[in-house]
Amino acid sequence: MNIFFVAVGMGLCALVFLVLYRAIFGPGVFNRIAAISAVGTKTLIILLIIGYVYNRVDMFIDISMVYALLNFIGCIAAAKYLEMER
Amino acid sequence: MRLCRYFLYPTQPGVIEAMEVTLFIHAADDAFRILENAKAQAVGLLDTATRLTSETRWMEEKKLQTILKGAHETRSGIQSFVITFVMLMGFWALLSGKFDAFHLSLGVICSLIVAYLSHDLLFANVRVGDGRVIVRRFLAFIPWLLREIITSNFYVAYLALSPKMPIDPQIMRFKTKLESDISWVVLANSITLTPGTVTIDIADREFMVHALDRKTAAGLDTGEMEDRVAHIFMEADHIYIQDVLDVSRIFAELKRGM
Amino acid sequence: MIGKSDDIIIKTIARIFVPFLQLYALYVIMHGHYSPGGGFQGGVILGASMALLLITHGYDELKRRLPEGVLLLLGSLGVLIYAGIGLLCLILGGNYLDYSQLSVILGVDAAHARSLGILGVELGVGFTVMAIMYSIFFDISTGGILPEDQRREGRVEGER
Repeated sequence: MNIFFVAVGMGLCALVFLVLYRAIFGPGVFNRIAAISAVGTKTLIILLIIGYVYNRVDMFIDISMVYALLNFIGCIAAAKYLEMER
Repeated sequence: MRLCRYFLYPTQPGVIEAMEVTLFIHAADDAFRILENAKAQAVGLLDTATRLTSETRWMEEKKLQTILKGAHETRSGIQSFVITFVMLMGFWALLSGKFDAFHLSLGVICSLIVAYLSHDLLFANVRVGDGRVIVRRFLAFIPWLLREIITSNFYVAYLALSPKMPIDPQIMRFKTKLESDISWVVLANSITLTPGTVTIDIADREFMVHALDRKTAAGLDTGEMEDRVAHIFMEADHIYIQDVLDVSRIFAELKRGM
Repeated sequence: MIGKSDDIIIKTIARIFVPFLQLYALYVIMHGHYSPGGGFQGGVILGASMALLLITHGYDELKRRLPEGVLLLLGSLGVLIYAGIGLLCLILGGNYLDYSQLSVILGVDAAHARSLGILGVELGVGFTVMAIMYSIFFDISTGGILPEDQRREGRVEGER
């Protein structure tokens, strides 16, 4: 089971790089925001998988919750900033 | 039928008068029987309609009246403070997992602070009704939503992976019949959660939805999701009850006429 | 200038989220010595919840809830708590922030006193970080111009 989770984590890491391409080269700022948000969600799952592998889910679940909340608020703040700029 | 025959084949005047009276009595009888049948059918319909809305029936009469008007209310300060405090305390126990006196007292203090700071946020716009019904219906809504997400997930994967990529992106707008902000948000998030469709904006009760394909757009256009969300928050019930009340008024007038 | 948001989805989600977010921040502060986190992290989450409220409900709503004076007071109070506990340890004959000296005042053994001392210090750090974080966010977002000033000078911008 551990192997399975490690494999899933590696796959998600690869997907993060795919999304990172869109974040760096993506045309326009909206693509970048969406890409960063997607990277955030993937990081959250990777954190949980790391917690499972090290048998410390109770610690990593706190971190991942904070990550999700800050990701949400950051995304909204960026969107609000763009709305003000217009 | 008999009336027709009488008008088609007139006979002598004396006979006609006697026949006329009996025929008219027969005709009135028939009409009366048809009306009675219609009334019985209507009463049956009314019964089924009230049985359909029986879930909202067991609330108090006063609440029923307010539901009929589709009213919204802001809970009073003390009530919302207490409810928020209890919910936050439960959340604290879920997070902390330590139940000794020290940590529980910390939790009580923190919950009191947060409840004081933001007790009017959580219940700013509550629909009058029974909370238990809403919770039960919401829990029943989740499996359906999960099934919908999984099926459309496969469909979107097929669209993305097929070499020709037969997508047809389009933006559709539709007016909603939902009334409270919380139900708008549940519907919008359900639409966004379902792969292939994204809610862009809600303005003036009009949803603006981006759909990836004609099929997903058509699936949204049937309005099944909206009906289910309306069912959760008892938004459509009062419309049905209003219908029944209107019909019953018409029936009362019919009865008086008879 | 940050005004009220007219997006129903964001507004409602924020309305439901903010109390739980604040409680979570306090949990992170209070349980800093058991689980990851502590004063700084909890303070950041608390500041983020304030920022979310500011973005979605506007400045007036936030001012009604938490006036600027209270915010400054909290920020200074946090520093006072931190320095006060440190100085108390110094006065009691230990090093700066040597929590085990607090056992004389609190009447518990050294290990428990250390735990309580850390809790107090983290509370102070959390308050200060929250106040300063929120102030920085607010100052950057307004560019130093308060809505009151605009209103006084009679050039109110339209709602955004």
